[in-house]
Amino acid sequence: MPEQLSIFELIANASLLVQLVMALLVLASVVSWMMIFQRWFFLRRSLAEVDAFEDHFWSGIDLRKFYGELEGDEGLNGIENVFVSGFREFTRLSDQGGADADAIMQGVQRAMRVALTREEARLETHLPFLATVGSTSPYVGLFGTVWGIMNSFRSLANMSQATLASVAPGISEALVATAMGLFAAIPAVIGYNRFSARVEGLMKRYEAFSDELTTILHRAAHSKAAED
Amino acid sequence: MYLLREYTFPLLLAVTLHGAAVFALYSGWNPEQTRENIIQPRAVVANLLVLEPKAQAKPKPPPPKPAVQQQPKPAPAPAKPKPDPQIAERKRAEEAAKRAAEEAQREKARKEAERQERLARLSELAQTSLDEAIAQEDAALQAGTEEMVAQSYRLGIYELVRQNWSRPPSARNGMSAKLLVELIPTGELVAVSIVESSGNAAFDRSAEQAVRQARRFEVPEDNGVFERHFRQFYFLFQPEDLLR
Repeated sequence: MPEQLSIFELIANASLLVQLVMALLVLASVVSWMMIFQRWFFLRRSLAEVDAFEDHFWSGIDLRKFYGELEGDEGLNGIENVFVSGFREFTRLSDQGGADADAIMQGVQRAMRVALTREEARLETHLPFLATVGSTSPYVGLFGTVWGIMNSFRSLANMSQATLASVAPGISEALVATAMGLFAAIPAVIGYNRFSARVEGLMKRYEAFSDELTTILHRAAHSKAAED
Repeated sequence: MYLLREYTFPLLLAVTLHGAAVFALYSGWNPEQTRENIIQPRAVVANLLVLEPKAQAKPKPPPPKPAVQQQPKPAPAPAKPKPDPQIAERKRAEEAAKRAAEEAQREKARKEAERQERLARLSELAQTSLDEAIAQEDAALQAGTEEMVAQSYRLGIYELVRQNWSRPPSARNGMSAKLLVELIPTGELVAVSIVESSGNAAFDRSAEQAVRQARRFEVPEDNGVFERHFRQFYFLFQPEDLLR
């Protein structure tokens, strides 16, 4: 019996295709973990920003002043974008004059819907990648395993005496591919589920806010129209 | 710039994580070792029993114990016999009293001399037994190194036979067959015979076949060691890993 086979020897002795599969899976795992960390920080930050924004917004600040503060800002975050684009449309339309309250409100709603869609896309970046890794890397690993086992049995056919010791290393090295596939897939699936739930929660809050803003602007537009 | 700022840290974390996983696999994971210990029980315990050179007589010798058994034991000193203190004097007559006293004196002197002599003899005996013990110990030490050499060769033989042995399906736990193996100094097998049958003909045959298949064994160069340990030896076959 030779010395104990380490997992690295197994990988080094695997056939080229299996090695490629393993390399692909390692790459997928690294990238998906990178996405997971990135999304994690990003979404946590977004949540904190929504909290801070809502606190500020409902503190009774004058909306025009608030808008003026935000407008010049470069890196606006999600919910601020919704507010700014809605309010900008509102001021533009009402400054233009001649537009009636309903037209103003339609414009505002459209502008906010666009902003919301854009924000949703931003929140959901990378999630499709995680979903892909989670659903396909087990198959990729399985492919490597099947290929490895196929080869190890094929070489068995040429032997006069078939022993377990002559197939076992091949099967073992092939199974490493499946293990890697699962290693890449499990965090990706968990990350995907968790992050999509969190994105959904955030989007609900954005939408609720945009509805609230619509209500406020609607009241303002109609009172202005009544004044005129 | 945005990409760099946003993704450097996550990438670093991900790479660190994978590095840690690889390191954990590399340092703490020795699957083969544990598997070897648990799943691969020894297929056979074959004990080589050394045949003493004098036991090469015609009648089959009784199964000798594995070697190295005589421990040097210094001969116990003989117990000192207590001389019966017989200083009984008879006071029969006055004149006898004087003579008796004289005699007692003589007796005392004689006893003293006797005691001295015995003491001397005892110490001499103790000395010789010590010498003997040292000599015995030396011999045992030498026998010990020889035994170690023999043991290493024995292991080689055991391993070779074990690899060659294919147990018949009818083998059961608790069966054991003892074979007498005879070699010539080149290590070649000259004869193998069954000394104690397991009661199962197929088992006996398989054991004999295992020895015959080896044909040639590794034996020590030293002729003395060979003669003492490998000219003739017993081989015990026991299947131990069967589940039934």
